Amino acid sequence: MNIQLTLAARYLFGRKLRTVLTTLAVVFGVLVIFGMNTVLPTMLEAFQANILAASGQVDVTITHQSGEAFAVSVLNRVKAIEGVRAAAGSLGRTVNLPQGWFGRNVNISAVSLVGLEPRSAQTIRNYSILQGRFLRTNDSLAAVITTSLADQLGLKVGDEIKLPTPEGTVALTIVGLRPARTLPGNEEVLITLFEAQKLLDLPKRINTIEANLDTTDPARREAIQKAIEAQLGKSYQFGALGSGAELVASIRTGQAGFNLFGFLALFMGGFIIFNTFRTVVAERRRDIGMLRALGASRPTILGLILAEGLLQGGLGTAIGMALGYLMAAGLLNVMAPMLEQFIHLRLGAPIVSPALVAMTIMLGVGVTLVAGLLPALSASQVTPLEALRPATAEVVQRAIGLGAIVGAVLIVLAAMGLVSGNTGLVAAGGLSFLLGLVLVAPALVRPIAVAFGALVALAFARQGTGTLAQGNLTRQPSRAAVTASATMIGLAIIVAVGGLTTSLAGNFLGILRKTLGSDYLLLPPALAVWQSDVGANQDLADQLRQVRGVGAVATMRYAGAKANGKPVSLLGIDPATFPQVAGLNFQVGEADTAYAELARGRTLIANGPFASDAGLKVGDMVTLSTPQGERPYRVVAIAGDYLNAKVTTAYLSQASLREDFRKTEDIFIQVNLAPGVDPAAVEPKLKEITAQYPQFKLVSGRAYYEENKRLFDAAFAVYYALFFVLTVPSLIAILNTLAIGVIERTREIGMLRAIGSTRKQVRQMVLAEALLLAATGTAFGLLAGLYLGYVMVSALSSGGFPVTYSFPLGGLLAAIAVGLLFGVIAAIIPAQQATRMEIVKALRYE
Amino acid sequence: MSLIQAEQLTKIYGQGETAVTALDHVNLSVAPGEFVAVMGPSGCGKSTLLHLVGGLDRPTEGRVRIDGADLTTLDDARLTELRRRKIGFVFQFFNLIPVLDATENAALPLTLDGVKPAEARAKASEWLTKVGLGNRLRNRPDQLSGGQQQRVAIARALVADPALVLADEPTGNLDTRASDEVAGLLKQVSDAWGRAVVMVTHDPRLAAYADRIIFLKDGAIVDETRLSGNGAEEARAVKEKVEAL
Repeated sequence: MNIQLTLAARYLFGRKLRTVLTTLAVVFGVLVIFGMNTVLPTMLEAFQANILAASGQVDVTITHQSGEAFAVSVLNRVKAIEGVRAAAGSLGRTVNLPQGWFGRNVNISAVSLVGLEPRSAQTIRNYSILQGRFLRTNDSLAAVITTSLADQLGLKVGDEIKLPTPEGTVALTIVGLRPARTLPGNEEVLITLFEAQKLLDLPKRINTIEANLDTTDPARREAIQKAIEAQLGKSYQFGALGSGAELVASIRTGQAGFNLFGFLALFMGGFIIFNTFRTVVAERRRDIGMLRALGASRPTILGLILAEGLLQGGLGTAIGMALGYLMAAGLLNVMAPMLEQFIHLRLGAPIVSPALVAMTIMLGVGVTLVAGLLPALSASQVTPLEALRPATAEVVQRAIGLGAIVGAVLIVLAAMGLVSGNTGLVAAGGLSFLLGLVLVAPALVRPIAVAFGALVALAFARQGTGTLAQGNLTRQPSRAAVTASATMIGLAIIVAVGGLTTSLAGNFLGILRKTLGSDYLLLPPALAVWQSDVGANQDLADQLRQVRGVGAVATMRYAGAKANGKPVSLLGIDPATFPQVAGLNFQVGEADTAYAELARGRTLIANGPFASDAGLKVGDMVTLSTPQGERPYRVVAIAGDYLNAKVTTAYLSQASLREDFRKTEDIFIQVNLAPGVDPAAVEPKLKEITAQYPQFKLVSGRAYYEENKRLFDAAFAVYYALFFVLTVPSLIAILNTLAIGVIERTREIGMLRAIGSTRKQVRQMVLAEALLLAATGTAFGLLAGLYLGYVMVSALSSGGFPVTYSFPLGGLLAAIAVGLLFGVIAAIIPAQQATRMEIVKALRYE
Repeated sequence: MSLIQAEQLTKIYGQGETAVTALDHVNLSVAPGEFVAVMGPSGCGKSTLLHLVGGLDRPTEGRVRIDGADLTTLDDARLTELRRRKIGFVFQFFNLIPVLDATENAALPLTLDGVKPAEARAKASEWLTKVGLGNRLRNRPDQLSGGQQQRVAIARALVADPALVLADEPTGNLDTRASDEVAGLLKQVSDAWGRAVVMVTHDPRLAAYADRIIFLKDGAIVDETRLSGNGAEEARAVKEKVEAL
């Protein structure tokens, strides 16, 4: 074996604890990257298969323009197109039911009978089955329905459901139950495609093709869709991708976020490796000097250190990937029930792509090599003379160096970026702030250690160990700083995410309560994709108003328009009734004056995304394209509501909408009860009225709020769990630094013991040092975290997505607790090592 | 013709007012196979002289030739190669790599030179046997006594067949008996195996093993004694000279 590899392996084996710790650092970085990038695509896949599908939004839906059925062969043409991951054909139709079909008390006026090819259908959507089984290809007269339908009809698996068909009434045996339908729209009765073709008398025909694409890249998706259009020709139409594409985009943003955190974790790992290798080189200066004297060339020494890095990097990456996969599988397992319960998302097996494996290996081994390179280069600069000089304990006393100055400049730049309010500058500021802190850290270690040292010294006053620990820490300020930086990044993540989530949750729920805070909501089938909703004429709102106990009713109407060539949703509100029931969240302008201005006509309230997108300020004129031609509108305020928070939207008076867009259809209705009215007395009547308009679903405002809050909480719980995992490398960093410190000071510790320190005092010295390190890192972490959290929130705000910053007290306290806990945990092993030393051996230690 | 030819060798550490002249225009030549001891009080420039001759450090002024090659004109890579092939080193401390066994340590100069492992091991064990460690081939440094460790170092210094062995206080860490063994071994290196040896020491008794003793003071050679081999008596004379410095 090559001499460098031999030596590397021997050295690694000779210092087992340190090797394990350093390797662990690599393991963790790799684990996070590999694990997260396994979890996310799996979730993304599940999202595509479930959420999009469940809301009728698979990637592409193809129907004939006439709405009529077409030949099955069209499906094969779609399947053959490159980029189509899966495609399935179905034959469905709405079956209107005669009054009282299911009995007097059951109020179901229609169901959708859907014929599916069982196997291919499941490649497009995830049909979870709660009881019984899914359809099989050779089933005959078998059906799968939802538990909500089964409950309404009092049916269970094995019972029969009767439906009218062109072939007469058929009785279908229920073979399986799906989760309750939560989305508005008709209940579905699933049967096999063959059965449907028979019952509907349409042999070998389908009327819908659904296809999923193999990418989330918007440009590629568009290209694939174009290819499908080219293949099928003009007589086929495609389902709206709008809202689905938006959901995919937000998942992609999430993925980018997670990757950012994964890189941060690996960055931490890099710090730890850097620290270790620097110590390795310092410790072995003499060995290296001797090798140089014996004729080892500089490249040989460089190779020696890098070989160690390679061994550790390779091993760490391999273990990290294995553990990362297990973590992903475990995490998915834990999340699965939660996701299934709250958002009806069913997860598949973890997805590992070869590209991810290649990327992880490159990153894991690459980071190790890069982190080892600087120490290795410095090792290769060791002169042979170093082997001949007598040993002196090194105490690095560095004046405030160039790094600290550059760091300070970066921090000032970051602050300026924040003040500027420009999104790009704010985001760049976040990065520069973190980098600045890392650079400034060595200069700050001493003052911070002195400050906290006073506390620690107080705590251990009688042993005098606090002062020793403080001295030990400050004599290697750059190592302490690198360790503190690793801790800082870990804790900064907790605090920053805490800040972001607290702010987001507070704001979203606040806006939700403000804008959808009415007692009852009449929700159309699709929220925020208003153009596809069928509304109601004014009769519905009038009927609701006449119900005894109803206080106020506000409606929303929709029209699509273009402003400056870009689409914008126009929502018509009644300036008089709307504020009584709901409201907008005002960023610029006053509610009262804005509604009054709106009532005058040809005025609009722009929401954040629209204002930001079109560069609008209050008082600006904007031209809207209407069926009557272009019309100028004046912006009177900037405000938004919950449902349209991410869609470019403007609010007009219903009068303007009628005049310029000829739209009078209500697509969303909010109802408030009169003060002191018991909901139980009014609700049945409301239900009765709504039942005549099956396109609307009546929901109590409170239930809607609670459901959304639950969703938020579930999502945040997952986030917090993930970010806690990300902080573990900082624990390793402290542990590693302490262990290195103990090994390095073996002789000193022996001396301390020889002159009469008790084991307890030595243990306390190590513990005090650990706490100092942790406190320093935590202090940096809190600072950086608060800043980063604020930056994320401001970045959102300047993107037209107004969020007020809330102070993350919870995250802050959690970070402090985690930081100090890590300090204590990290001290355990090194303290044990230090106390168990045999005095004589320690004194002889070289 | 001499193996070592040093002319006007000068080494100044630091600059300006803090400058310290460690070696001041020293001329020295050592013949092949000769055993030279360098003596003098602390700080006289003994070690500096050894470092310059061994190509571990560069002189401020003057030149050193080893076997005709001018060390002052060689770049780092060539200098490293020359050390590997022409010079063997024995240090006072930290002489061996702790994670390698005796044979691997002794074989290092060959291994570093790209010699096949089996061949390097064979040569290393041959030399270890010659220095009396034939039964300790697989022991790691922490399993050897100080004297044995220094003998491994001497075997390592000889393994690449160098013309010159440089020893810097090789017995500084050893008791009297082990010191005599090491000094005797170095004498053997010169007498029996024909390598030139330059040994820095402050112990007159050990210096008496050499063929010639050079006395250094304040960076300059102040005296030189050629020995005839009458151990005890000459040692006393040397001691007196050292004390007079």
